[in-house]
Amino acid sequence: MTRMTTSIEKNHQGVALMVLLENRGKKSLFMAHMIAGLPTISESIQVAKALAKGGADIIEVQIPFSDPMADGPTIAVACEEALKKGATVKKALEVVKKVAKFKKPVVVMTYANPIYRMGIPKFIKTISNAGAVGLIVPDCPFDTMEGWSLLATCKAAGIALIPVVSPGVPKERLETLAKDATGFWYCTTRQGITGATSVFASDLPAFIKTLRSTSELPVAVGFGVKSKKDVKDLSKVADIVIAGSVFVVALKKNKKISAVEKTMSQLKL
Amino acid sequence: MTERETFGGAYIPEMLWETLQQLIAAFEKAKRDPEFQKEFRDLLKNFSGRPTPLIFAERATKKLGGAKIYLKNEGANHTGAHKITHCLGQGLLAKKLGKKMLIAETGAGQHGVATATVAAKLGLECVVFMGNEDIRRQRPNVFLMERLGAKVIPVEYGSKTLKDAVNEALKFWMENLEKAHYCIGSVLGPKPYPEMNRYFQSIIGREIRSELQEREGKLPDVVVACVGGGSNAIGSFYDFVPESSVRLIGVEAGGIGKKVGQHASRKIAGVLGIFQGYKSLFLQTDDGQIAPTHSISAGLDYPGLGPELADLYQEGRLELTYALDTEAVAAVDFFAKLEGVISALESAHALAHVIKIAPKMKKDHIIVATLSGRGDKDLFNFARAFKDKSFRDFLKDEYNRYD
Repeated sequence: MTRMTTSIEKNHQGVALMVLLENRGKKSLFMAHMIAGLPTISESIQVAKALAKGGADIIEVQIPFSDPMADGPTIAVACEEALKKGATVKKALEVVKKVAKFKKPVVVMTYANPIYRMGIPKFIKTISNAGAVGLIVPDCPFDTMEGWSLLATCKAAGIALIPVVSPGVPKERLETLAKDATGFWYCTTRQGITGATSVFASDLPAFIKTLRSTSELPVAVGFGVKSKKDVKDLSKVADIVIAGSVFVVALKKNKKISAVEKTMSQLKL
Repeated sequence: MTERETFGGAYIPEMLWETLQQLIAAFEKAKRDPEFQKEFRDLLKNFSGRPTPLIFAERATKKLGGAKIYLKNEGANHTGAHKITHCLGQGLLAKKLGKKMLIAETGAGQHGVATATVAAKLGLECVVFMGNEDIRRQRPNVFLMERLGAKVIPVEYGSKTLKDAVNEALKFWMENLEKAHYCIGSVLGPKPYPEMNRYFQSIIGREIRSELQEREGKLPDVVVACVGGGSNAIGSFYDFVPESSVRLIGVEAGGIGKKVGQHASRKIAGVLGIFQGYKSLFLQTDDGQIAPTHSISAGLDYPGLGPELADLYQEGRLELTYALDTEAVAAVDFFAKLEGVISALESAHALAHVIKIAPKMKKDHIIVATLSGRGDKDLFNFARAFKDKSFRDFLKDEYNRYD
């Protein structure tokens, strides 16, 4: 993992992620996803706390966007609700800052337009100051003007720009991405969108093998992770298992934040 | 914007990369493939009914007292609008790519009906995404799509209009990449869609040129078209871009006012952004959230401008303006009474602008306005807009005839 070490060595939180990954032994880590502003801005901080208490190793904070193209209905509707209740990018970034205080590495996820609108340098500076270690932007490929700008700005700030890939992405493309990727690969369990189903692609293990042959970066796997069995199955091939929609569902169903902690601890191996 | 912006691009999840590469390759090949060209031309002529007529609007010209007005009647196409042209092109490409299904989004329902029609003709399955709000506004088209064998899936969240239908169609595509081709209905989305749909639609401008040459022996002075995403507009304009004497005017939806959510005009409030796979001007909030839009016409009720049009607008080649809901409705009536043409509400935005500019122009000048679609689909909306009591009674009676 030499690449990751060099890319994020200046960043205190980044070191935490790196140490975490290097010392995990054979156990895979768990990245839990949440939406800043769901159910409300202040309560979403409690959701993060519940995830941390429930055993999440890394927390992924999604900054809501009106039209989340890679998200299934569960998260898309939840983002819409968060926005309706007054979430804004600025307020969501305050949430990131508070969540980072729970001593778990925080990865920010959002879409290209909110970042572009704020301005790439300002956005990266804000999440860096907030203590985030990584950034995921599923609709901004590295080889675009904004992708290049994000890569350079993230590198300078010690933030990992994490690529999202899926079974079916050809090896030549992975090799191109690998040249610039930092942190870890975010590998989806199949082609498609978040949440939808727990049916993982049959070529997922082979694809992860290709990923590993392409670079030394750790591999995080998510999309449709709903049960302990899913976590168990994926941890055989993944360094990090990711779940998200399952917590949104738990929160909605029970209307209590404690349900998030319970769900998290039930999923954790 | 001090530096010149590059619009367009491919801002997409990596899982779409390979599929788009294949589409780009198939499109480039098709451009040079005589067999493809022959099939495409044959379908345009013998299925869609091209070339479409260029109508000299003689009585409207006289009444307005200025420039000579011609209407390029794309409503004469099979299914009633220009949309079928790029659907046929994409349908043929989908077959070349070995796809079994066409996916489409639709606002007014025109692109949905056109895609369903082409899917039936070419023997492909068809799934159409349509916002619930639009289904409410354009129920007859849903019925037609279903009769054509398509599955229409209502989009229940977001603003429940065209942009949300695009989102859902994209998502469905990502879940069905092997099987399906996403037949995007305008000159927007990631590369190669804006260029590809413009390539297919630019036949409109070529026909205008040759038809007008035959009738008047010269180029038009102004070409006017309505702009939602901009497929009929760029189709009409493209052939005239190098002709600096020809003014190109795009007419957007001015809706009911200038506040956020009251219109769909990028001229009024468009800001550079990245959305649905492309970079262009979008109606959005200061927070970078895509803003709600409004138009009486579902087909113009969309926040983004096709990137090639944004490019022409930036370089000053294209002028943008807007027409209000009320002006569009009045324009339908004006041209219906004087020219025997009932325009779709979308196209009526272009006609409303013609009414504004023609009187100020010299009599030997020529305006060509593209009538992107005919108004049959807007029957119910017209009836409501004109507060037609007998139509209301008819609907009541019709309702009672059920069961």
